[in-house]
Amino acid sequence: MMLARVADSLYWLGRYIERAEHLSRLSSVMLNATLDQTGSGAHAVWIAMAAVGEPGDGESVGSFEAAEALVLNRGDPNSVVSSLARARENARQVRDQITTETWERLNLLYLKVTDGDAAKAFAGGSDNFLHDVIADLHLFKGAADTTMSHGESWRFMMLGIYMERAQLVSRLLEVCFAESPVHGQLDDHVALVSLLRMACALEPYLRVYTAEIEPRHILEFLVFDEDFPRSIRFATAQIEQHLSAMARAIGGERAGPERLAGRLKARLQFADVDELEAVGAGPLLTTVVNECARIHEAIYETFVAYPLETRLPA
Amino acid sequence: MRIYAANVELRGRDRRDALESERRDAFGDASKVKRNVEKSVAAKTQTLDDAPTLPMTEAAYLPGIAYDEMFTPDGEVRKHYDPLHGRMSTLGAEELAGRQRTLERSFLLQGITFTVYGAENTTERIIPTDLFPRIIPAAEWSKIEAGLTQRLQALNLFLADIYGDQQILMDGVVPRELVLGAPSYRREMQHLYVPHKAYANVCGSDLIRQQDGEFAVLEDNLRVPSGVSYMLANRDAAKRTFPGTYRAAGVRPVERYPDLLLSTLKSMAADWRNEPQVVVLTPGVYNSAYYEHAYLARLMGVPLVEGRDLVVHENMVYMRTTTGLRRIDVIYRRVDDDFIDPLTFRRDSSLGAAGLFNAYRAGNVVICNAPGTGVADDKAVYAYVPDIIRYYLGEEAILPNIETFLCREPRQLQHVLKNLDQYVVKAVGASGGYGMLVGPHASQKERDAFAEAIKADPENYIAQPTIQLSTAPCLVDGRIEPRHVDLRPFILSGEKTIVTPGALTRVALKRGSLVVNSSQGGGSKDTWVLAEENGHSNGHGNGSVRP
Repeated sequence: MMLARVADSLYWLGRYIERAEHLSRLSSVMLNATLDQTGSGAHAVWIAMAAVGEPGDGESVGSFEAAEALVLNRGDPNSVVSSLARARENARQVRDQITTETWERLNLLYLKVTDGDAAKAFAGGSDNFLHDVIADLHLFKGAADTTMSHGESWRFMMLGIYMERAQLVSRLLEVCFAESPVHGQLDDHVALVSLLRMACALEPYLRVYTAEIEPRHILEFLVFDEDFPRSIRFATAQIEQHLSAMARAIGGERAGPERLAGRLKARLQFADVDELEAVGAGPLLTTVVNECARIHEAIYETFVAYPLETRLPA
Repeated sequence: MRIYAANVELRGRDRRDALESERRDAFGDASKVKRNVEKSVAAKTQTLDDAPTLPMTEAAYLPGIAYDEMFTPDGEVRKHYDPLHGRMSTLGAEELAGRQRTLERSFLLQGITFTVYGAENTTERIIPTDLFPRIIPAAEWSKIEAGLTQRLQALNLFLADIYGDQQILMDGVVPRELVLGAPSYRREMQHLYVPHKAYANVCGSDLIRQQDGEFAVLEDNLRVPSGVSYMLANRDAAKRTFPGTYRAAGVRPVERYPDLLLSTLKSMAADWRNEPQVVVLTPGVYNSAYYEHAYLARLMGVPLVEGRDLVVHENMVYMRTTTGLRRIDVIYRRVDDDFIDPLTFRRDSSLGAAGLFNAYRAGNVVICNAPGTGVADDKAVYAYVPDIIRYYLGEEAILPNIETFLCREPRQLQHVLKNLDQYVVKAVGASGGYGMLVGPHASQKERDAFAEAIKADPENYIAQPTIQLSTAPCLVDGRIEPRHVDLRPFILSGEKTIVTPGALTRVALKRGSLVVNSSQGGGSKDTWVLAEENGHSNGHGNGSVRP
């Protein structure tokens, strides 16, 4: 049993945490790719900016300025600092529900990125800065995992994390494989490696496919891999698992979100990369994004903003 | 972009309400500006030669004319301060400053902060905390404990009476119009059953130590007193800052406060509700005392709810949970009377729940503290507290009041008018817009003008002598200096009345200032109540807890 408002805040806490991590990684990879003055660097910048919804031509604004804005611009609601501020705001609302260890990780990180010297620290070593932010977010997740009860509160937070992850990875793949690319077919080695880095997938990928960096393999890995925690299939399986557990707690007839999640999970379980190549990755990725939006709404209707009449005691 | 959905919108109305409900500082002192604020007297300072010295203070430690917690007027260290004084003397300035920084850092990290919302950016501030504990010997504490217990018992009986048969008003002990005309008197509470007659379940009284070393009550706080989380956080910090001194001193623990609070709240629930559901009601995250609300909820293990989580249906109060509605039995509310129910009190409030008060009247939920307790900590009623104690308990007050003259009484009025140059005169009325007169500092012309105002409306004025607060050593700008302090102990009252053996010591951090409110440069420090008379170790560390 937990308050509906609290569940909502925990869910969003998870989403903002995941978003902050993803944005930090995009910025970091983007900055790194442009160190080599090649066309593939510009391609990586384009992928990152398109994935956050600001494609442009990749050259009008310098990649450092773009990365700095993506990380530190408080005016932009989709920057790392804004995501962390919102994550903390949500955490503060449910301060009684999360452990002190978990809270302190987030609060520390928040104080770091909102510090007056943050811009200076970023300029002085953006790579270190972003590395630390990502590491701190991993510490947060680790603290949550090892100190919080894996009950309802934790499940709502994990649900937020995986919902956000499924959508962010889908979006990243859409940019690379589904939309008509400005930079032509994505087959450049550096750009492909950058893509894997953006999904934090390079090392696990190499373990499975060795150093043969092929678009087909990347797609297969990031969409269908059963064990890689950032594949879409893995994320949807987690979503389904958490929702089923919560549905059991509610008991009975109200089978909303977990049915949708189960359907999406099955869709990914029984598709394969040949099918994707035949029809293009677009339709499946669009399905994932749309289904996630429906699951999101169903979560609200079932757990948070349910109509009172249905729940009043007889 | 579709995937960047967001949930944090400034809930404009909540925030406005939260801010409005909140003309108070982070320790939750509502609009009652402290009476002592205006009572400064020009402090007569000792010369350097009189002053006791501490190794690291460049200028010597000058307590002034006020009672000093650490030094006797002759410059001797009071016995119960010996161990701490020793430690202060051996640690260098560097080390002390380092410990102070560690302390502040840990407060910031834990989020023991209040948020300052600016136009451009929002910042987190901590309430200044001083690392040196304030120490109270066992004998002094037992008097405080007895005095506070007596006082709260009498005030609860008083509340039960004025919201019942009003015997005390019939007997003319307290003027009828003074009580019934007070804005904090809640007609709605009349003839309402309150378990154990415990109207004020949580009370935070403000005590001061006068020049003669005696404690007196400056103010009772029976509405929504706060600051207890600082008491606990300060203790936690002090244990880490002076572990050895703490162990040796034999300090009585305060850590049981959350479970004592929970059992007090549970004792208010109806007998037939086994496993009563307790919740903490907060105005929300924008309230400056939000940290405390979340802290208490977390340590009691009960939900922290906001008004929008509550649903009242057929005079039962429920909260919206993920698995449906769940009934609530006891609400520890940290929302002022005015805001708890828009149907009964302020209509434009969204911080409470519509219908909550009716559910309370119907006996289906308990609100703690009960609405309407504010009438007993009213400025004018304060003057009658010794009479109230005598009336209900047949005892003399153990802890004295600050001497207060009521201009409504003709003889006291004459006395005040004759000696205007010695008193601070203050309007009682809720508006308070009439201002006040600080007699010793005013010109003859001002006094004459004020005398006319008092004569025109004597019922609206009280007068008190100027008072001093005691001083305690604080680390200020790298030096140990005396600063004025008060004392806020917390008393719980349900089936039993319990005084927590500890308190929040509030500090006026500006030199010479008597203002301890956190909104005006005040801070706080830990308060050690000793278990043993001499404060020395009994060989069992801090295990010497008295029952």
